[in-house]
Amino acid sequence: MKNNTGRTVKLILLNVFFIIICIGSLVPILYAISVSFNAGNNLLTSRFSFIPKVFTLDNYKAVLIDNPFLLWLKNSMILSVATVVLALGVSVTGAYAFSRKRFAGRKSILYILLLLNAFPSILSMFAVYRILKPFGLVNSYLGLILIYTGTMAIFGIWNLKGYFDTIPVEIEEAGKIDGASDLRLVTKIMLPLARPAILVTSIMILIFVWNEYIFAVTFMTGSEKYTLATGLYSLQATEYTRNWPVFSAASILVSIPILIIFFALQKYMVSGLTAGGVKQ
Amino acid sequence: MKKFIAILMSALILSTAVAGCGNSSSSPSPDSPSASAASSGSQAQNSEGAKPVKITIWHETDKGIAEQLQAELDKLAPAVEVKVERKEKMSDALKLVGNDPKSAPDMYFFAHDKIGVFAQMGILAPVTDFITKDDMADLIPMTVKAATYKDQIYQLPVYFETQMFMYNKALMKQPPATTDELLKYMEANTKDGTYGFVEQHSTAYYAASWFHAFGGFIINEKAEPGLNTKETLDAMEYHKKFIRYLPKDGEYNTVTTLFKEGKAHSIIGGPWLVPDVKAANIDLGIAPMPTVNSTGKPLTPYSGVQGVCVLKSAEAKKDAVTAVLRQLAKTDIGLALARSANCAPANQKCYEDSSITSNEMLMSMKKTAENVVPMPNVPEMDLMWTVTETMLAAVNKNDADVKTSAEKAQKDALAQIDAMK
Amino acid sequence: MKKKLVPYLYSFPSLLTIGAIVLFPIIYTGYISFTNMSIYHWFDFSFIGAQNYKKAVLIFDSGFLPALLRTLLWTVINVVLQLVIAFLISLGLNAEGLKLKNLYKTLLMFPWAMPGYVTILLWRMGMFNTEFGLLNQWLKSMGFSGVSWLSSNSIAFAACVAVNLWLALPFMIMIIDGALQSIDKTYYESARIEGAGFGAQITKLTVPLIRPVVAPAVILTTFTTFKQFDIVFLLTQQQGAKTGADIHTIITYAYEKAFITNNYGYSSAISIIIFAILIVLSVITRKDIREEGT
Repeated sequence: MKNNTGRTVKLILLNVFFIIICIGSLVPILYAISVSFNAGNNLLTSRFSFIPKVFTLDNYKAVLIDNPFLLWLKNSMILSVATVVLALGVSVTGAYAFSRKRFAGRKSILYILLLLNAFPSILSMFAVYRILKPFGLVNSYLGLILIYTGTMAIFGIWNLKGYFDTIPVEIEEAGKIDGASDLRLVTKIMLPLARPAILVTSIMILIFVWNEYIFAVTFMTGSEKYTLATGLYSLQATEYTRNWPVFSAASILVSIPILIIFFALQKYMVSGLTAGGVKQ
Repeated sequence: MKKFIAILMSALILSTAVAGCGNSSSSPSPDSPSASAASSGSQAQNSEGAKPVKITIWHETDKGIAEQLQAELDKLAPAVEVKVERKEKMSDALKLVGNDPKSAPDMYFFAHDKIGVFAQMGILAPVTDFITKDDMADLIPMTVKAATYKDQIYQLPVYFETQMFMYNKALMKQPPATTDELLKYMEANTKDGTYGFVEQHSTAYYAASWFHAFGGFIINEKAEPGLNTKETLDAMEYHKKFIRYLPKDGEYNTVTTLFKEGKAHSIIGGPWLVPDVKAANIDLGIAPMPTVNSTGKPLTPYSGVQGVCVLKSAEAKKDAVTAVLRQLAKTDIGLALARSANCAPANQKCYEDSSITSNEMLMSMKKTAENVVPMPNVPEMDLMWTVTETMLAAVNKNDADVKTSAEKAQKDALAQIDAMK
Repeated sequence: MKKKLVPYLYSFPSLLTIGAIVLFPIIYTGYISFTNMSIYHWFDFSFIGAQNYKKAVLIFDSGFLPALLRTLLWTVINVVLQLVIAFLISLGLNAEGLKLKNLYKTLLMFPWAMPGYVTILLWRMGMFNTEFGLLNQWLKSMGFSGVSWLSSNSIAFAACVAVNLWLALPFMIMIIDGALQSIDKTYYESARIEGAGFGAQITKLTVPLIRPVVAPAVILTTFTTFKQFDIVFLLTQQQGAKTGADIHTIITYAYEKAFITNNYGYSSAISIIIFAILIVLSVITRKDIREEGT
């Protein structure tokens, strides 16, 4: 009995802790939300309050109507889905090889991949342009997809490999004895077991693509090809008419799809190893 | 094993499918600027007049200004079809694609201070390859000077910007005539979060007015930095007295918000502030820049000249480019931009029009046009912005010593100019 | 024979894209670093040997070493804080009976769901601004005077760390949380039966179990933190809004000293040197990294 009250107190404390953490970490975002609902063109004011003084939805209307927001959303979605599929495809195969196969150069390649990350990429724009141009991939989504895939593949391989390594080989051996092919082993055994890692990797890639704007801004021309991050960038780039409430509203709108996806994926983030076990 | 290869194959097919959709969005559809620009270039030579020549102009400016440009250049249709297109991070993009006719625009619309960089890179064609100096006879001389790099004119000026002393008539009865008066006014009126005067004190573009009033400079036409000259040092020492009464975070948004909220009595700013300020119901007055007591010279701001430049790769479309330049050399675009966006036209003839003569701000900008200093357009200026601002921020915001900071900045500037080559 | 090729075949697609997008730029930068490519020789650049490297030595002036040390400090502080905080938060999230777990987790992801420049802009304008920033508004309403958050070196450094944590924690929480999920809960039960306390469970069981899963992410985060440019630059060094603080990391330092010269040969040499420094640093700590590769 005493143990139970102790537990309840603990849980209440934990909830209080998380509510404080969430509110604390969300202050800048609450700020943006408040600005976005406020009438009058001002991010800055000396009399700020979190509850807008004059409530309005005009800023959201302005984002959705004055800008091709839905088109940008579509572009972002196409780009992210394609990148996630492609990057995950190459990472899973790569990670499987690095985790389960033994071959000459395996360790060195893994190590080198990691070191490649050390390069400060500020200057790589020019070289990437050089390599994409002959293939006509400048100003094309495929070019961007390849850039994003290449950039995220190292993370993908390492992250998935780390997880694959934790899956006991015995599970696979059983399958191998039954004569299952590598493909079957991967799709039927590894992927379900590694589901959290797959999801984490996908989310990582998705968010990277969703937020990336430097390559998109430089390589894509014409607002009809913008992604959300690029469109958002163009909204704040002109100092003359920088409209903070509209910009804040747009920022909030850009992040909402990601949050929805993230929330929806939560329940699948449980490993196949333990699903249905202690968790329930 | 075979199955796995099958999967790989299907992944490959999938990726080509993705490739397909990626391509279809960028493949040469008739409207795609890059593709059509390249193809129409050759067409222009074969069958001039039969098919419209397409010209793409990049810009990174305000939507309203771009729309006026587009409307003006639509007058050239059907012979020449102009597409005014926004490009983010335009100067970075031009460095990347400048000589690639497939990705580069034919012309671009921008301030004059990057001319040196692009001309030196070899991606610009002088506008005098297309139009004569007579075509440019009506332009304010200052704007032509700004457009000239190494004796070649690389830009057709359309309008110019400079800074003005603006004040809130409800708060400030009499704008100060001298800087000492201004300082006194600031002493008396700066308290409890309100300011007698605000400016972007540590931004090179604004601080240059003070340097110039003392005879100092950031960089001269011979590309020699002047950060540690006696005049520049004097300017900084004197200017430092004002810092105490200025908001420390002197960046654009902070100072304009203060002015718009009626918490700053006066401000030095550009014409782009005016619409916002009027929208905030401020009774706006415009006064001449105050004069520095010790030198007798007024604060002398930089000017930025906005106009079009032609890329070398557009030389194949000579006639169309010429038509565009001629159209923009007329008074029409200047008048349209002046009426819709408060831009001061580069064409002097515009100032005879009644819609302009009645605009107090534009007339006062015209009056100062001959005294302002066009931003240097030498390539070395590109790095002076950063070096100068590092110095200003250290002095004004982090209390560093003026002399030491200036010597260090000058040394950095020289080292980096040396490193450019 | 065929069997031997299989692993290479599997890893080929990933290695090909990485080769094109990550490796090629490095090689190309190395190549450019031996040329005189600058705005004076933009298209007709030629080989000039190691001259850029000779010139680059000049950058190792009084400012470079402090910037390098500061970067190391920055990296260590950030990575350690991220790990500790994210670990504690993830443990809390995985406590049994926490019903709102998914909601909390999603809310904690919010900072990550926006492009970085947006969040940095929000912090700079909304939080740290001396006149209007929330922090100073709160200070003033409590009767204190405002602080210029980004002007003096130590406060500005702390401010940058705070923003970096804010931006990077969601990722770390996600990684550690994912790793915690992978632990077979029966381990804990047997540990409890054997009488292991909470502390012992954490150090003896949890940490070793999640280590292999978390390690790659930590190593990559270490690199990212070391190379971090946006936060320090946009908060304190942005043109037109410099704050006066001198808290350059080696990347922002190289940017201000070299990249703005438009001399690509020279900037490339600097990039390669920074790359080399980072490689040397990672080789020193290589034992750790190597272990994860096995």
